[in-house]
Amino acid sequence: MGTASTRKRSFFAQKICRFCADKADHIDFDDIKSLKPLISERGKIVPSRISGNCAKHQRQLTRAVKKARSIALLPFAVET
Amino acid sequence: MRSYQSVLILKPDFDETQVGESLEKITSLIKSHGGECLKVDKWGKKRLAYKVKKNRFGYYLNIYHTCENEKVSSLEAKYKLYDAIIKFMVLRLDDKELERAMGNGEAEETEGNGVKAEAESKKEDAGKQDEKESVKEASASDEKKEGDE
Repeated sequence: MGTASTRKRSFFAQKICRFCADKADHIDFDDIKSLKPLISERGKIVPSRISGNCAKHQRQLTRAVKKARSIALLPFAVET
Repeated sequence: MRSYQSVLILKPDFDETQVGESLEKITSLIKSHGGECLKVDKWGKKRLAYKVKKNRFGYYLNIYHTCENEKVSSLEAKYKLYDAIIKFMVLRLDDKELERAMGNGEAEETEGNGVKAEAESKKEDAGKQDEKESVKEASASDEKKEGDE
């Protein structure tokens, strides 16, 4: 288990919440620049286990993304 | 009296004068519902993430305003009837959010660059995103393999 976790870490050196690092107390839905990297190619929200976000900011992120989707700033789904 | 944020998307073929006219109409609409415009942001013409009423682009307006609590639904109905608006979203703001919005606005305006600059930055972002995505995909598949083992 220990070796597996270190191997994972090697892929993702920083498993830090990027919003905590910026000391952001909230996430704006209109700030697409910060939301875009946390959206997959198909338009899905990247899970926190991969992005490394903390639970608090991941909740805020999902709300922000859903608002941005409803006003056509982000896609609901990307056709490939 | 609560404060709200209205994000409106106007038709993309509007020029500045037409946007000004419709903005006047919208502010008068808000006033007729017992509200007051606190701040108006023009986000400008942007590419929509998906087609809205057959439009690929839209002119974004962001208005912070107050409104009487019972009249919000009728304000939304008026937005729906106004044919210059192709999509809208009305959000209720609490005191904290309103304070933040009024404070942040000035900083954002200085940042607010032209449509061209935004488009360029978007392209760059897309490129970066692709790179990140490939890394994420790799890690995801890696995790799955470990699970199987």
